[in-house]
Amino acid sequence: MSFVAIATIVVSLTIFGFFLLLVLNMGNIVGGISSRMDLVAYIYKDLSLDDAGAVQVKIANIQGVEKVDFISKAEAWKNFKDEFSNKLSLNEVVYDNPLPHTFSVRVRNADLLPIIAKEISAIDVVDEVRYNGKLIQQVKSLISAVRVGGTALVIMLSFATLLIVVNTIRLTVIARETDIYIMKLVGATDNFVKWPFIIEGIIIGLIGGVSSLLILKLSYEAVVSRILQALPFLPLVTDYALLMAIYAIMFFGGIALGMIGGYISVSRVLKNEMQ
Amino acid sequence: MIELINVTKTFTNGIHALNSISLHIGKEEFVFLVGSSGAGKTTLMKLLYRDELPTSGKVIVDRINVTELDASQIPYLRRNIGIVFQDFKLLPKRTVYENVAFALRVTGALRSTIRRKTMQALELVGLLRRVNSFPDELSGGEKQRACIARAIVNNPPILLADEPTGNLDPATSWDILQLLDKINKRNTTVVVSTHNKNIVDEMKKRVVELEGGRLVRDQQLGMYNVK
Repeated sequence: MSFVAIATIVVSLTIFGFFLLLVLNMGNIVGGISSRMDLVAYIYKDLSLDDAGAVQVKIANIQGVEKVDFISKAEAWKNFKDEFSNKLSLNEVVYDNPLPHTFSVRVRNADLLPIIAKEISAIDVVDEVRYNGKLIQQVKSLISAVRVGGTALVIMLSFATLLIVVNTIRLTVIARETDIYIMKLVGATDNFVKWPFIIEGIIIGLIGGVSSLLILKLSYEAVVSRILQALPFLPLVTDYALLMAIYAIMFFGGIALGMIGGYISVSRVLKNEMQ
Repeated sequence: MIELINVTKTFTNGIHALNSISLHIGKEEFVFLVGSSGAGKTTLMKLLYRDELPTSGKVIVDRINVTELDASQIPYLRRNIGIVFQDFKLLPKRTVYENVAFALRVTGALRSTIRRKTMQALELVGLLRRVNSFPDELSGGEKQRACIARAIVNNPPILLADEPTGNLDPATSWDILQLLDKINKRNTTVVVSTHNKNIVDEMKKRVVELEGGRLVRDQQLGMYNVK
């Protein structure tokens, strides 16, 4: 019977941990997309390279800016021609370089894009700032969907796990209902009857928690290393502290589940005994 | 030692198990409780150790008002009442020694005290040879001796035996009753419910008869049937 209880805890906690990692990784990947959000600032007039350097420093000092690249109008024109020379013969249409100097700005957080764009616009030599607001909106709603959905999923799974474990342990307690009744008849107090069951619950939870932790840890490390070999840039959760926190949740979660399960179960049996 | 005052017990399904019972049992008395099945014997016993509460009336055991006893105090009441069951109610996965010692362990007694008293009780019931056996390995008579040893190991002032010979052959039944008589002579109040006519007639003790939940006879040196 306690084997069944341990197996139930292992399965429930492993599924719980799996979804927790899944949700965290989805959050990370979506977050990774948003961190690649760039904005582009076009400059009015011909700037000297020194002036451009000053503007670059100004932009780089804005809070939330990760990286600023300066693309001179000559460079931009060259890139443009390289890219389109086989499709158009531009020299026949345009004789002069129509492109402005450009700053390509990478921001740390997509939420900051409008604010940063405004600050960059305020610089007097900047003509226009562009970024893809619609894409950002979509990514942002995707992020919040993943967050809300993931949190709901994790909460639901927590309850499901608790229910399953409590019920499984209850079966082991009910199997010994007669023993409990006899103990009470010879003068055992409720606490005297309760403690062995609570301790048993803790031991079952401990074994279950550690087993599921090991299963999850080993399989996650294996899966992550495979994925990173194929897709090295995918921002998977590999943060040691965060992973340890998840494993700690499983360890202590297992113990808590066993303890709560034992306590609730034996308390119910004792309550029935009183009637 | 035991006092029932106008006790009525009606179960939620409407069955009247006991009907205005008043009964006094003095210190160190030996009383047979007789009557056909369903007369209310077991219910009366259960009221004494607070496994049931009366619908009305008052139950006093060893100067304690059992009816108004707080639930948290029930274990302490039961430590003063030894209970012997027809079906023995031994813990199946524990040895005879552990079963008897359990009644002392719940009181928080010292290990050395538990050992000494348990062995004394097992000696009194004649079960020293079987201390390490499990209940499954015992005969009916031996199981009942183990159950009695557990009931008296705390030296309770009261011993209740509900049909203690119900599952035993006549010779063994007689041995068990001799044992209960011996315990009674060691200053313990003993109440035995039984169907066993021969034993009641032979032992010539006080007989209390129940019929359909009413007390119909209370006779010193009584017989199983009214002559």
